[in-house]
Amino acid sequence: MSDAVRRRADPGALLLIAALAACRGDGRAGEAGEAGGTDSSSGSGSDGGSDTQGEPGGCDGVDLGQRQLRLLTRREYDNTIRDLFVLPPGAGCEGDACAGAAAACALAFELPAGGQTWGTVHVAGSFNAWAPTVAAGGWALAFDEGADVWRGEFSFDPGTYQYKFVIDGANWLPDPGNPEGAPDGFGGENSVIEHTCPPGQAGEFRPSSLLPVESRPEGFAFDNNAAAGLVTAVHADGYLRAAERVTEVALANRDGWLPCAPGDALDVCADAFIGQFGRRAFRRPLAADERARYVALVTGEGDLTTGLRIALQAMLISPNFLYRREVGGVDGTLGGDEIASALAYTLWGTMPDAALFTAADEGALASPAGVEAEARRLLADPRAHAAIGAFAIQWLGVEPILTADKSVAMFPGVNVALRRSMLEETRRFVTHVMLEDGRPGELFAADYSFLDPTLAEFYGVAASADESATAPLPPNRAGLLGHASVLGTYAHSDQSSPIRRGLFVRRNLLCQELGPPPPNAGGVPEVDPNATTRERFRQHSDDDFCRACHQYIDELGFGFERFDALGRYREQENGMPVEPGGDMNDLEGLGLGTHAPYTDLRGLGAQLAAAESPRACLSRQFFRYSRGQHEVSADRCAVDALTAKLGETDDVREMIVAALTSPGFLRRK
Amino acid sequence: MSLPTRRQILRATAAAGLALPLWGLRGGNSSRAASGTARRAIFFYFPDGVAGPSQDGEPSEWHCSGSENSFELSSLLAPLGALKSECLFLNGLTMGATDSGSHPGGAKKLLTAVDGGNGPSIDQALAQTAGKDAPFRHLYLGAMAAQNSPSGDKFISYPSPGQTQAPEDDPRAAFAALFGAGGMGGGMVDSAKQRVLETAIADAEALRSSLGDVERAKLDLHLGSLHELEKRLQGPMGGGGASCDAPTIDTSGFGDGQLYDSARFPAILRAQTDLMVLAMACGLTRVGVIQGSQHTSELVMSRFEGTEMFTPDFDMRSHQASHYGPNHDLGKPEYAAYVKHRRWWVEQFAYLLQQLKDRPDPEGGGSMLDTSIVLLCSEVCDGNTHLHDNMPFVLAGRAGGALSPGRLLTFEGRRHADLLLTIAHAMGQGWASFGEQSSGPLPGVLG
Repeated sequence: MSDAVRRRADPGALLLIAALAACRGDGRAGEAGEAGGTDSSSGSGSDGGSDTQGEPGGCDGVDLGQRQLRLLTRREYDNTIRDLFVLPPGAGCEGDACAGAAAACALAFELPAGGQTWGTVHVAGSFNAWAPTVAAGGWALAFDEGADVWRGEFSFDPGTYQYKFVIDGANWLPDPGNPEGAPDGFGGENSVIEHTCPPGQAGEFRPSSLLPVESRPEGFAFDNNAAAGLVTAVHADGYLRAAERVTEVALANRDGWLPCAPGDALDVCADAFIGQFGRRAFRRPLAADERARYVALVTGEGDLTTGLRIALQAMLISPNFLYRREVGGVDGTLGGDEIASALAYTLWGTMPDAALFTAADEGALASPAGVEAEARRLLADPRAHAAIGAFAIQWLGVEPILTADKSVAMFPGVNVALRRSMLEETRRFVTHVMLEDGRPGELFAADYSFLDPTLAEFYGVAASADESATAPLPPNRAGLLGHASVLGTYAHSDQSSPIRRGLFVRRNLLCQELGPPPPNAGGVPEVDPNATTRERFRQHSDDDFCRACHQYIDELGFGFERFDALGRYREQENGMPVEPGGDMNDLEGLGLGTHAPYTDLRGLGAQLAAAESPRACLSRQFFRYSRGQHEVSADRCAVDALTAKLGETDDVREMIVAALTSPGFLRRK
Repeated sequence: MSLPTRRQILRATAAAGLALPLWGLRGGNSSRAASGTARRAIFFYFPDGVAGPSQDGEPSEWHCSGSENSFELSSLLAPLGALKSECLFLNGLTMGATDSGSHPGGAKKLLTAVDGGNGPSIDQALAQTAGKDAPFRHLYLGAMAAQNSPSGDKFISYPSPGQTQAPEDDPRAAFAALFGAGGMGGGMVDSAKQRVLETAIADAEALRSSLGDVERAKLDLHLGSLHELEKRLQGPMGGGGASCDAPTIDTSGFGDGQLYDSARFPAILRAQTDLMVLAMACGLTRVGVIQGSQHTSELVMSRFEGTEMFTPDFDMRSHQASHYGPNHDLGKPEYAAYVKHRRWWVEQFAYLLQQLKDRPDPEGGGSMLDTSIVLLCSEVCDGNTHLHDNMPFVLAGRAGGALSPGRLLTFEGRRHADLLLTIAHAMGQGWASFGEQSSGPLPGVLG
């Protein structure tokens, strides 16, 4: 810590109060650095993600949401295309527009000995962190004496890699059988290999691979922020290319969407197609002039296929397809079609089904009771799993486990299959709790999960006999805090991170925003082979200035210390025992001065399961997801109402229904 | 060896050897490089600052010292040695006190010069003006910029106030967009495509007028994007004479599923840099941003094979190294790595400049570097103190004769808004101000 900061710290109490204000992200830039003000989407700058509770004022006013156009997210785009065209499974799944890229597969290496006597031969490369020996995680080849060849077969993820053979642990040779090379930086050459694997299970058509990734405002966990959903030139380009791709797939699979018989006259077919398909593509009936314009596109070429191609492409890049409207009529009340889309995209992540369109056409969505009936139908349908699964993954922020850098030397077994298993566990578990069990406390306390064989082996337990059934967790894990996706995402490549894990709980699970560290805060303590991580971070609690904020972060993050950077259980680190207990200071709100001691991660989870703040936070996160915006101060009552509903019913499903039938969801200003 | 690979070279869909028409010559005045105007602007970003003035008060290892015309390159800028006469080194510029000490706060201000990123960024503003007649108004290429599903504050380009756009992180996808069907390679008049686009534009206009003020800005942006696409699909018009032969880039160093693998980063950044130069050489765009990684970067730079940073048995990340402690102590692994990391970034910038220098501008006027203006930037000054003063900016290129590089200029305490404004002026946009607290172009930069 610098002298300058130290001097400022000396006055003690006064500064600690200022530091706490900074920790809480109270929205003003303080002397010590930046504080809060994290949401650029609300435009008000007033919420910064910090507590809206505790502000004065009653809840008598009318809760009104925002009028907005919400661009389909990439996830929603794919689902909508699938359902709009009723494509057969796997149709269109080619190249870059196909989900489920190939996982690891084996590759054989061989090196002719040419009569020479070697003790060992290893293959070392960018696939195994250049480990030259088995002890370092390397791959040994076996000698086939009869053929005078060293051979080995190893499984790793597809990709382009550089490698060499290591003779007797010391001599590095490029592969004489591989003509492709690249400079090795030491004056020689590495061999270069492009390792390809056959596709895994039948993939899904993902035309959204041609679209840019969403930009999520700081502090907003979800991909569907309405203000950030902008069509830049890159998007327009992507939409056109995706439309071309989708159209060709659709023209090759017409049964699900073209209401014409082979002998129909062109204009008859065009009229039927635009009337029916147009209503589904735009999620509302077409106006007469729109309809005439699109019919003319179909008939204008004198040939059905050419006409369909133009009309389909035009519809797929039309703003009427790409945005869903939450605009409402003169008084801001959403129309039946707008509500049908809002329900479908929030709960299913896709367009309305036939029953929902019918409900809209018949006026059944004009009353809150009618909306509630449809919301309950959608929530009980298996199709809700996909959207709620996406909510869960984004709320918890664990998708990076798919790509997060992990030390190959430390974790030689890490591959795409394991990473996918980790993510899948969290998706299935949270979806199960939210949709099938309902009790929010289970998220943190459940002694079961969903483990496929890959993950069961990783956790060291037996897999479920039936993969759709729950499996008991080992005694050191409980709830989502012990999921490898969480532990591995909130860590570094080669070390755990009490800070990231602590911040994960504060921000994602408790909705408590802490400001960034002040200037000169210094770094993460250096890696020390003679200390545990916890000991290295002791400065954060010994130093009063650091402690002002870090009491909320590290003290909580230490509870995860029995899990390493990939989420493997450990009782020792660097040969020293890992102490798993601590104190979740101020669990119910920063600055309260309360304590919540725990003895290990299960105990920490039990505290969360019993507390109020995680429930309030879950409600707030669902509010953000369903409205596509960060809550602002005017939304306090709406959020509080959801929290109250969750408290009263102890059922997440009831909170979700309340969110989708709330006055502000159904009426906009 | 069972599966030898072939060098992966991406080629345009047009047959090799076919001369693709050069786009750039068809524009109006704004794209003409009359004497004293840059034809193109490139912004090259790297994360986590530099070894600036240390917490304990040691001088910066980045900033040069000396007089305007007689100065020595700092140790970190040494890789620019051969290009010293092509660069204008800038000391003393500040981004202001708001959020000073913060990576995201700095990234938000960096190209917008507005606190909290509440304004369009300079690249987007130039795309709508100086770059508007190019087939692609704007080209935003990243290398692992969207790693770990980041929040939008990691991106530095703001198409509208408070809203960032994600860069294209995949060189192959970017290549396809630029040179595949729909890009230049497909640049033939296609009446069917024209009708598709006209319909979409009509729908967007109808929607906009039916909504009144609701979402007006969003739909205006949408319409502008469609018009850009429409113009591009109409194909090159008039002029020509120069050509852009069979564009290719080398994508050998990375494969499927490796776009976020640290060891591949150098190959990815190199491909994106080549692609930026290529797109500009072919006249496809006049405004480009290359974003290397993201602020508070988890990039494991110790995995860059064949570099002085390579230590396969130990992971050293960019942000980890940037928190090197109170002083410039080369005995500390973080600082020793940080210095190497920064030098590597400067080498990558030098590569970009050299590529521009080695290519004659197809529109004439010398090399592409002679007719361009290029900015090297990061979101904070010192990576440990995170302050937003004395920002590490380097300008390069001769801006069509407007800029005389090879000098060191110091603007103590001047806002960097004026640097961005200066770049706009170099691009022929005589705006009175840009962003917040702009007081006019930096004196003495443009001749």
